[in-house]
Formats: sequence, C-alpha cells, structure tokens
Amino acid sequence: MSADSAPASPYDCPGRAAPGLTRRDFLRQSNLGFGWLAFAGLTSQWARAGEIRRPPAHFSPRAKRVIFLFMDGGVSHVDTFDPKPELANRHGQPAKWRVDALSQSTSANRKWLKNLWEFRQRGQSGLWVSDLFPHVARVADELCVIRSVVGESPLHGAQALLLHTGRSIGAAPSFGSWTSYGLGTDNENLPGYVLLNNDWIPNGGLQNFANAWLPATHQATFVRAKGTPVDNISPADPPDIQRAKLDFVRAQNSATALEGGSPEIIESAIRNYETAAQMQTLVPRLCDVADESPATLKLYGVDRRNDYDRFYALQCLRARRLIEAGVRFVEVTCPLTHANNAPWDQHGELKLRHEENARITDQPVAALLLDLKARGLLEDTLVVWAGEMGRTPHSGGNDGRDHHVSGYTIWLAGGGLRGGMTYGATDEMGMSAVENPINIHDLHATLLHQLGLDHERLTFRFGGRDMRLTDVHGRVIREILA
Amino acid sequence: MGVRIIILFWLGVVAAGLRLPASSAPAEPIASPDERWERTYQSRTNWWSLQPLKTVPVPLVHNDSWPRTEVDRFILAALEDRQLSAAPAADPTTLVRRLSFTLTGLPPSAESTAPFLAEPSADSYGRLVDALLDSPHFGEHWARHWMDVVHYGDTHGYEWDVPAKNAWRYRDYLVRAFNRDLPLQRLLLEHLAGDLLEPRTDPASGVNEALIGPMFLRLGERRHGDNAASDGVTQEAMANIIDTVGKGFLGMTLACAQCHDHKLDAVGQRDYYALTGVLMSTRWVVRCVDTTDPNEALLAKLGVLKAEVQNQLVRIWRDQQDLIRERILNLPTEPPGSATPAFPESLLGFWQQTQREPILASQFHQERERRQASNRIHLELVADFSREEGGGEWRHDGFGMKHGLTRDGEIVIADEGDVFLPHVLPAGRWSHRWSMRLAGALRSPLLDPQTPPRHFSLGYAAGDHAASALVVDQALNSERMTFLNQRTPGWLRVKAGELDSLEGSLDRERRRVYLEIATKSLNNYFPPRKDYAGVRAKDEATEWSWFGVTRIYQHPTNQPPMDELGRFAPLFDSTAAVVPERDWAGRLARLVNQAVAQWARGEADGECVRLLNDALGAKLLPNYIGADPALAGAVARYREVQRELQADRTVGSVAEWTEGRNERLGRRGSYTDLADEVARGGVRVFAHATPALTSQGSGRLEFAQSVVDPRNPLTARVLVNRVWQHLFGEGLVRTPDDFGQLGQRPSHPELLDHLAAEFMRDGWSLKRLIRRLVISATWQQSDQVSEAGRTTDPENRLWHHRPARRLEAEAIRDAVLVVSGRWDPTLGGPAIRPYRTAEDPAKRLYSGPLDGDGRRSLYLAMTLMEPPRFLSIFNQPIPKLTTGHRDVTSVPDQALALLNDPFVTAMANYWSNAALKDGVGTAEPRVQRMFRRALSRPPTPEETGRLLALVRQMGGLRGAAEHLLLGCQPAWQDLAHTLINLNEFIYVR
Repeated sequence: MSADSAPASPYDCPGRAAPGLTRRDFLRQSNLGFGWLAFAGLTSQWARAGEIRRPPAHFSPRAKRVIFLFMDGGVSHVDTFDPKPELANRHGQPAKWRVDALSQSTSANRKWLKNLWEFRQRGQSGLWVSDLFPHVARVADELCVIRSVVGESPLHGAQALLLHTGRSIGAAPSFGSWTSYGLGTDNENLPGYVLLNNDWIPNGGLQNFANAWLPATHQATFVRAKGTPVDNISPADPPDIQRAKLDFVRAQNSATALEGGSPEIIESAIRNYETAAQMQTLVPRLCDVADESPATLKLYGVDRRNDYDRFYALQCLRARRLIEAGVRFVEVTCPLTHANNAPWDQHGELKLRHEENARITDQPVAALLLDLKARGLLEDTLVVWAGEMGRTPHSGGNDGRDHHVSGYTIWLAGGGLRGGMTYGATDEMGMSAVENPINIHDLHATLLHQLGLDHERLTFRFGGRDMRLTDVHGRVIREILA
Repeated sequence: MGVRIIILFWLGVVAAGLRLPASSAPAEPIASPDERWERTYQSRTNWWSLQPLKTVPVPLVHNDSWPRTEVDRFILAALEDRQLSAAPAADPTTLVRRLSFTLTGLPPSAESTAPFLAEPSADSYGRLVDALLDSPHFGEHWARHWMDVVHYGDTHGYEWDVPAKNAWRYRDYLVRAFNRDLPLQRLLLEHLAGDLLEPRTDPASGVNEALIGPMFLRLGERRHGDNAASDGVTQEAMANIIDTVGKGFLGMTLACAQCHDHKLDAVGQRDYYALTGVLMSTRWVVRCVDTTDPNEALLAKLGVLKAEVQNQLVRIWRDQQDLIRERILNLPTEPPGSATPAFPESLLGFWQQTQREPILASQFHQERERRQASNRIHLELVADFSREEGGGEWRHDGFGMKHGLTRDGEIVIADEGDVFLPHVLPAGRWSHRWSMRLAGALRSPLLDPQTPPRHFSLGYAAGDHAASALVVDQALNSERMTFLNQRTPGWLRVKAGELDSLEGSLDRERRRVYLEIATKSLNNYFPPRKDYAGVRAKDEATEWSWFGVTRIYQHPTNQPPMDELGRFAPLFDSTAAVVPERDWAGRLARLVNQAVAQWARGEADGECVRLLNDALGAKLLPNYIGADPALAGAVARYREVQRELQADRTVGSVAEWTEGRNERLGRRGSYTDLADEVARGGVRVFAHATPALTSQGSGRLEFAQSVVDPRNPLTARVLVNRVWQHLFGEGLVRTPDDFGQLGQRPSHPELLDHLAAEFMRDGWSLKRLIRRLVISATWQQSDQVSEAGRTTDPENRLWHHRPARRLEAEAIRDAVLVVSGRWDPTLGGPAIRPYRTAEDPAKRLYSGPLDGDGRRSLYLAMTLMEPPRFLSIFNQPIPKLTTGHRDVTSVPDQALALLNDPFVTAMANYWSNAALKDGVGTAEPRVQRMFRRALSRPPTPEETGRLLALVRQMGGLRGAAEHLLLGCQPAWQDLAHTLINLNEFIYVR
C-alpha cells in the first residue's frame, strides 16, 4: 500500500479492506449475489493463497452450517411449545399485566385466552409439543426449545430486523451474511448464503438478507420456489444462438483488451460471460429435485397437491441439497397465503391460519430433521426454528392473539446442542420470561459459538468502528451446549 | 443503580478529604473524564482536514509543454518527483464518449460532437464541454450523484414502505439546481435550513426552491408511530440524519459519537446531542412550496360566480314558508331507536319532540340559560379563526387555508356531484371555501403536558380524509392520526394532558406534542400504510380533501361548549303569534324562512348558519342541481373555473417554531438512560464559524451557516473531492465520506486545497469546477499504463493515466434506452414504478412498465423495500445510508442480466425494428451504423468483417436465406443484443 495511506489501525481485523480498490476486491464484491461464481471461473488461474479459504476458527467448531426456518409473523408460543394450564383455568377472565414498552396494547378489554390446541409430552424426553405440530412432535427428542426469548419492541419490522441483523433498525449485515463472512467458503462454486423464498418479502424488507457493509459476496442469493428459481437464469436465446453471441462477445472483448490499459477488466468480463453461461445449467440443476428418491419426496411432502404445501416442501428439500453441496447458511421463509402483514400474524383467524401455516410447514420441517439425521448431517448442521415474536396469551376477542415479545419460544436442533430439552421459562400465564431470559444477541452469540466463532472477535471495520453481529451485547448460552 | 452508588462513593471519598490512591504519577492530580476528553479533543484538532486551507504556489515542472491548467502542474510535479510521465492524450473519439458520459450520463450524440471530431482543438473541445454543461441532462446526471449522498428514496421502507411525501419534487429540485449551477454553498444551506432563508423562486414553475431543500432531512428508512408507542423511533431518525450530514457534507463520522466521544476524531458525544437538540426542535411537516399564488385571478372570478349561485339560491329559497311547512310535515315523527331524547338541538329534534309533547317557553328559556351560564363560566376562548390573526400561535398552510377566511353564511360549492351545496359556512377558516382542490393544514403550538390536563374544543368540520394527528416527539408518520368525517360543524376534543399518560419509557415531561389537522396533500402520512383506517386506492387517487375551523375554547374536563339554542328563541317569542301555537310545523317553517331572509340580507350570524345547515340536512331547502335550471347553469359556470385551479404543490419539508429545547445526552447511546441536557448547537470544531444561537430557535440555521462558512475547513474540500472522484473514478481523498483518522490521507493535499479555495472564490460553482478539470491534460490522458507507472504507482494515486471506468447502473440502463431509440428525454415528474417480477400490494410494491416508459433511470421509483432490481445488479446502492463511493463489481449476474433480462432483449427488439427501416441496400452500412450507435466509434475493417459474419450466422440460425438477411428482424435483434453485451458498451475509456 502507498505510504500515504491511513496510519496503522489500532483495530486491525480480518475483514479490513485494503485502501483503494484492489483487483481482488474488485472481483470479490458483488451487489446481488453470485459473486461466488466469479471465483469459480477464476480460481484456476488467479487464486492465490488466502483468496478462497476458510478463515481460522476461534474455537473448534461443532457445526459447519445453519438452516434457518423463519416463522415470519410470530407463532403463538402458548399454543405450541410453552403449555400454560393456568390460561385454561382463567380463560375469559380480564387479563392484567404491567404494561411497558414491550406491550402492544394496554390491558383494556383484554381477556386470557386458553390454548387452542392440546399439549402432549412427546418422545423419550417427554418434551411438550401441542397437536398443532404432529410431525415435529415426532422429532421432539432432537429439539432444544428455548421458552424465554425477550425482544426489543412489539413490531414486526423491528423484530424481524433484530432477529436477522442484531439491530432493530437493520442497516447491518444479516446473520447469514456474517456466517458466510466468518466461515469463508467450503465450495467455491456456491454462495455462502441462500434465501429460499417465493417472492414474499418479510417486514423490514430486503435489508433482512443484505450484506450491508460486508463484502457483497455475502449477500443472500434468492431462490424462489415457483418458476424460474433465480432472476435472469433462463437463457433468452436457444443454445446455438446464445453460443454464437458469446463467441462474438469473447472475440470482440479479447481484441479490445489488447489495446486498453486495464486488461484485467476485460479478462473478468470474459470470464463472467463464461461463468454466466455455465450457471444457466448449474443453478437449475441444483434446484431440481427430480433425482431425489420417491420416498424422500414423499417424506418432505413435495408430492402434496396444494401449491403452498408443495413449494414449502420443495424449499426444505432444496435447503438440504444446498447445505450438502457446501452452502453455509440457508434460510427458508414461510409463504403468505392470505392478505396479512405476515404469514403467522394472527390477530384474528388464529385457529384457521395457524392450522394452515402448520399444514404447510410442519411435515417438511420434521422431514428435514429426519433427513439430515439419516444422512449424518444433523450433528454438524444447526437448525433454527424461530419467528420474530410470540403471540399474546390474552386476546381482545376469542380467535386472535397480538404481538408478544416479553417472553416467547424458538427452538434449535443439531449442531452440537442438546436435544429433547427446554431452556428458560415464562411466568404461569406465558407473559414474561422469568427464568433464564435470553435476547437475540445471546442467540446469535451461541450460534456463532457453535460455528467456532467468537462473537466478540468476529468483526468488520465500518464507519470507523469494528462492527459485530452482537453489537456490544451477547452471551453464549452454555447450558444448552451438548 | 450501580452507577449511582459508585458516584456516591466517590463523593463520599472527596467529602472525607481522603487522597485517592494514585497509580503511576503521584504528583499529578487525577484528571476527570471531562478534563481527559478536553486534552484528547485539543490534540485531535491538529488533524490535517481540520486545518484551514493552505495556499501553496502552483509548483514548477520540467515538462512545461504538457500542462494546460494549474491542476496539471500539481499533478505533473508529483509525477516528476517519482520519475513518472503522464499517459498520452486520449484520441478525440474516446474523449467525446468519455466526456458525454461523464457530464450527462448519456452516450454522445453524433450532431453535437461532429464539430469537435471534424476539427479537434482546445477551442472546439471547450465548446463541446460548454454545450454538454448546458445540456438539461447534465443536471439529471449530477443530481443522481448527489442522490447517493442524500440516500434518496421515494418511500420510507421499514414495514410498509409508505411514500416519502412527494419526494420527486425534491429530485426535480436537484436537477434544476445543478442545471442552473446553483452555488453549492446555497444548495447545502437550503438542504439544512431552506425554510429559514429568503425564498428562491423557480421562474418556470413559481415554486420556492429553498423550501424544497429540507426534504433532504427526511429521506431514508423511517418507522411509523412515535417514541411513545415504541422507544427510539425518533432517535433512529436523528442518527440517520446526523450520519448523512456528517459524512455527506463534512466528511466526518459524527454519528460515531452517539454512544461515546469519538474514538479517534475531534467529535465529542456532546456534539452529537447538541445537533440532536437542533433537529428535535424542528418539525417535520409538509409544506406548500408555491411562492406566488397561481390562482388569484381565478379566485376573483370564482367570487363573482359564487355570488351568482348565491343569488339564484336566494331566489329559490326565499318566501317558501308554506312549502317548507309541507316538507316538515313529511318528516318522520319518531327518532330512530328508543333512547330518551336529550333537549332537542335541531329542527328535526324539535319537530319530533313536539310531536310527543309541546315544549313550553319556560322550559326552553330555562334550558337556554343553563347552557349560557355554563359556557360563560367554563369557556375560555383560545383562538378565533374568523379573524385574520385570530389563530394566535396556531399556524395554517396551503392556499385553501390562505383564502379560506369566511364570514357567517358564505356558501361552499362542491367540486362535483348533484348536491352542490354540502353546507353553509360559519365564520372561520375553511380549506374548501373555493374548492376541495386547494390544500390546508393547521398546526398547534406545542401542547405542554400539564396536571391537571387541559381540555380544548375546536370548532370544525372536515371530510374526504382530512386528518387530525397528535404528533409526539417529531414523529414523521404519526399513527395518532384520525381521519375526520364531520360534515356539519361540530367540536373536536383535544386533551393536552393525555400526553402524560402516553406509553414509552422516555422522559415524559419533555415530550413534544402538537396537533395537526391537514388535507391529504399537506399530511405527511397520506397515504398511510396500506389499509390503515380503511384508506382505499380510490381515496389515494385524488387529493381532494377539506376541513375548516371556527374557534378553540379551553374548558374544564366535562364542560365542553354547549349549544345555547339561540336560533330557536323566536319559536317562543310570544309577540310573534302569527302561526297558531299548536302548529309546530308552521312555527319551524317560519323560523327557517326568517333565517333565509336574514341570510339573504347578508346578515347571517352563527345561529342563522346552524339553522340553515339544519334545514339543508333535513332537506327543507333544495341544494341539488336538478332543483332549477338557472341555478344549475350558475353552478356549472362556477365549476368550470374551479377545474382550472392549480392545486398546491406540496412536498415533505420542515418548519421552525421557535420552540427550541435541548436534548439530554443518552448514556452509552441509550434513549432511556439519560444524563444532563446539552445546549443545542453545531459541531464544536466549527465553533469559530458558528453564529450565536437565538434563545428560542432550533439553531438549525446557525448550524447550516457553520457548515457552509468559508472558514469551515471541510465542506469545500469534501465537495471538491466528490467532484474529482466522479470525473476520475477515485478522489484525491479515496474515502470521500471520511476525512478523519480512519479515512485516507489526500494523495495531493496542496491540489485539494488549491481546488477548494478556487472553488469558493468562484462562487461555489459546480459547472466551472468541472470545466476546469475536464479541460486539464490530466483528465484527457488515455487509459494506457506505462510499465514504470505500473510498478512505481500501481494504484494510480499520482494519476499517470486516466483509467477506464464501468458506467454507473443508471448510465447502463439509460444507454440501452438511448441506443435502442426508446429514450424519452422528458425531464422531471412523478416517479415511474420499476418493473418487478412479483408484486406485493400490501407494501404498494406494484410493477411498472418493463422499459420504464423510456424514461431515464433517476425517474424510476426508489422504493426502499425493493429498489429497481436491474439497477441493483450494477451496484446502485440501497438508499438507506449515505454512499459516497459506490462499489464497482464485475460479476456473472451482470452478464446474466445483459444476456437474459427481458428489458435488454425488449430494447434490442425495439432497436432492430427501427434499424430495419434504414433503407440500405446491403448489410455493411447497417452493421457499421449500429456499431457506431452503440459504441460511439466506427468499427475497424476487421470489426466490420466480424459483425457481418455474425449477422449472417444469425440469419442462418434464424432460417433466413442470405438474400433476405436485410429484412430478417431476429438476426438484427441478435446483433443489437450482442452489441449491448460488449464490454465496451458498459466501460468507458
């Protein structure tokens, strides 16, 4: 670097970009995913030591990858994994609690609402799972259920961004981007972070999946369930026509490369076109599940007739294929089946819509756990099942629950965590976390820890600060580690 | 708690006179944190970018023939120091393409560049530069650069992506400012405090440009709701604004000091909260930006025409007592429902009550006196809007309100509908006095929370989505908003003391709350988030909306203004016994008839107006067009002129209310753990350039002045550096947003100061700065890199060549439009929806035309939740944070976009269809023309050969016989598509 560059930083960190735009950065940064494949075409000639690598882990990792099942909108904890018999006892009685910044409403006209689905103890562990999730109930012994998550505000956008980026206002990299950044790549042909969705954008917007100020290679690549999985991946021309165009472009670009002062620009363009051409077959092949056995397709429910059911199953199966192929972080979103702010956001129609969402997601989610386990992948794959909030134990009516962030439930599985256990507890009405409360930073710290990364040391310099996923917070929840 | 105990402990130690244990330097008294910070701060003020500009003589150089400008001498001197020489000059064809894209973001047009290419010289080049600087498309391109700095967006993102109020007017303001070469000093001043400057009127449109500038402060991700609903809403907005102003205008990372004193730069945490106080003392409101009144002549006409309608009404209504009596007799005699009726307050009420049992005069008078007494005792008049200045501290905005002062009894004519007279107006201020097309807003001073709470009643009527909102802590989109639907005048109750009980853990006593009533176009939060309060698409489609106000009373809790019933007194006037006492219909008809007569004489008072409105409501007086042909004609003539009225031009802006209050410092950035308040003000390092604050003002103007003061060492340097970067690809300081410790040092500090000083001397003129740079030999170098340059200075910090650059996302899309012939060069206007593969109606993320109607990319709606995807692929930044330097990446998804995106193939198709009509006899001239159109240069003979081979091959693959090639559209579309995919199309040398 030039002698004029900044003085040696007191904050040297692995992500610090060299001053100016070096050739490596130039190639590495992409704005909308697929930066990874730039490497695919380049590694053979240009890769130097350190360009494509796994950064050294801070600890010995227990997990290599993450599958995040985002239950967008907030599943009712008191109807699924956090039984509260007292709710049934006081059903219909006026609800009172200490209204604070985490409450969505005041207690005027609120009544306790009993669970709408029966709870049963499941598996060897006797973990409580309600009848809303019969399939997941069968894999209860794999689940590490955390019943004491506390959020920051009872709003979807804030909570979704908090869950994804560790900041309720976002403008920071997604957890998936951090994972990709922290772990580097194991397969240079694949992106680090893939989002399996179907064009529904959750509250908080695309920011939930953005690299923000991390290098653009770490941004989520969107793969949609229906139709063309990735934008512009379907060739606009028949193969022979496209080949002729590509040949001309290559010849013409090569000729101009000889005159210009920046041959590397042209070289990268030439390779981009070749890689792009390959991707047109590679990406669809990865997304195509036709080579899976009929038993697997049935296990996930890809054979189901309803589009929502079938596409969610397909995405869960793709999640396994992608992590198997080396993707670090796969996120699966829920579909929005009806006019609403988010799929699980049942202020009304709780019975109808929670059951519909369960019908869509329950079987594929359970199948994913079974399939990972059968393939020996579950032990080093972290599965995270979480919404951005829970739902109030009380109601203004009798078929709806509102936003609830003072104590709600998520579950984790695999990745060196203990299965068949619960951690933390809410009070007898399911209102507030009263035992071992955790926040999202603790969750992030714990997940990073399992990936072999110290949340205090995984940093990236931006705007004069060494930024962390956990900001200045976070505690590893050691009690749930196997 | 913990902190408190520790402090008490230390106080105890001091009080006991104990010496504190000293660690290393026992002789030195222990410095307090404040003293330590002071020492640190002082040492940091020595940083290079905080020093005044240095005047350095232009350096001497050996190769005296190369420099064309002073800039070149600075560059060459540094090159010669390192034994490097400049690259040869770029050839004229290359230069023309470079210049056109750099100045206008568009490919060169053959006509404008022909004189220079025919006879290249410094003179003809200078004329070409001037022509491009004068092009209206210059402003579009440079506005787009600035839009990165201000993170321009047409929506506010977050959960619902609600619109940023008419942000496009701000975008067009930028285009005009850059085209007119508005001094950048003034532009920045307008951005921060345009509402406090004398108006600057755009002669073409008549808008006050200065008032549009502050839309800058409102751009970006903003939550709906307020602090009382959810802590931190406004703090997030403040952090975003301070970050943008700091990095964008000053090259300082001011927002780093939200949680602590800056770790490396001379910025204290107090600076951050001083600025927060300034911004929090500013109201985010929508303003009408018309400087002059476009409707005055029309309003005069409307006055005459309204009198005609009134005359017709007088003719029709007068002396109809018998008819009115008949109508009263047809009124229902039973009220709906069975509730015990209160004392009647309407004609209908009197009618129904008296059908059950007569009302005695004594009863009436007793009731009336009770009410009069209550009002006399309890009501305190706070504002009387029937007088020009009667609103006191309440302020109104919009032409509707400006021209809305009415006397009792003025009629109002609806803009459409058979019922043309919705009501007769009481004295007050009414936004729809002339038309619902005109806008209105009324805003209260801050309503101080008090115990016991203060109750107000505001006389009003409103409809068509006029809304009232309590705005808490400068919430941008207050969800304490109610759409008003009060067709006849009533009372709006406001309880100022409610503010005490608002939720949220913030400092409640210091909460700022005001009331706003506004028509749609002056409401920040219209349209609100999708489906809020049942607003539908058809409600969003029109700006028609109205409200009016009469008086405001303050009163105790349960003693609101009471109807004194004066208008009914003549019913009980025993001396006027012309109608039999038991004939209540006749008595009521007589009452109405008298009111009509009083009104017709021009002597209506408030009671008379109420009676008339009552009569209209009960359909006792005809108020529909079909009632009379002459009346219908008068109404039609009125409406004809109404249609010509120009609606207020409104845009999100700010307002100063002389209600400045300091903010408290948030410990570690917390907005619940608050320390002492910090005096409002600017940034301390610019104290020498900051005027003293007036005690009641926000301090925003003073801060703005400190930013643009020539003594501020950063602003001009930062601006000049940004311009250099846009012309050369990198700045002299390669971190354009950070001139602090973590930024890079300037490669040519003397040149930076020289340019900054000259720029200020030159009136902060952007165009003259650009001209100076593009006529330099430095800029006109080719992209050839010498071997010495490559080894000695591989990063080209000394500028030994001018590197090739990839076009910005917008320029790529615009070039595709221009080359294909699809470009529509229209300037300005509301944003065009971007094309999307999937829509999300809940967020109003609708899809637009594939080709964006042929408009340039800066006119595509920047929806924060999902910005235009084609542009994102080519590194257009997500507009949430200020971006001084875009990423430039080269990745396969860009190749995929150019190969497969439907926009590109559609444009190739469009282009080929036009190319087929060129009337040529052979393929050769056509391929040459198309190549030249795409790349601004003629093909070499070898290239022509390759192009011909390609188009023949395509013809073959498309199944066209050789002799039919010229008419084989698909083959020519293939050629067009291939040309767009050439590297040379998106890179400019």
